[in-house]
Amino acid sequence: MTHKLLLPNRFKKIGWLLLIPATIAGIFVSLQGYDSFQITIKTFALLNTQILGSREFFSIIETDITNTLVGVLFISGALLVGFSKEKNEDEYIANLRLTSLIWAVAVNYLLLLFCFLFVFGAAFLTVMVYNMFTVLIIFIVRFNYLIYKNSNTASYEK
Amino acid sequence: MKNNIKVERAIKNLTQEELANKVSVSRQTINAIEANKYVPSTLLALKIAKVFNKTVEEIFILEKGD
Repeated sequence: MTHKLLLPNRFKKIGWLLLIPATIAGIFVSLQGYDSFQITIKTFALLNTQILGSREFFSIIETDITNTLVGVLFISGALLVGFSKEKNEDEYIANLRLTSLIWAVAVNYLLLLFCFLFVFGAAFLTVMVYNMFTVLIIFIVRFNYLIYKNSNTASYEK
Repeated sequence: MKNNIKVERAIKNLTQEELANKVSVSRQTINAIEANKYVPSTLLALKIAKVFNKTVEEIFILEKGD
């Protein structure tokens, strides 16, 4: 009764190896300002728009890819952590996973709704930046908390 | 839904871990079922009943409001 869409358990470890450094780098970059640390290379852009309004499709551009790198590492790490099987994946774990996912989506959008109502101006851009990652973060935290809580309550009984 | 897995385990002298291994789930799952926190799938209910050589209805009992 385990789900077909999940990756094998070994991917979970790889996920943590990507997610932890990416989280640290992400916090660092957002505290220092998004332009403080630059890795500028030539890269392929499907779409590139300038603030003045010119648009380029399918072009090679020279740009800072720090945020791209951190974001890509974070998202791939979080996907691997969140969607790899547990060591003892069974129907109850699958049930916990589904519950956590519903919980995460609901909490995420309630938070976003709150920010929509009460955050304005440039600060809302910050909200949007964080909101790209919060569903995955809330899901991973909630799911691992439920598993932890559950293995604790199970330990006292014979 | 109620169940008497705990009683049946005591009769057969099985720990949660041993029962879990017999039906290939984790110990937490058996614990959650015994604590009425989780309703097992039909498949798992049948497997558990088989371990105790009983019918599913003898292990799992519907309650009022189910």
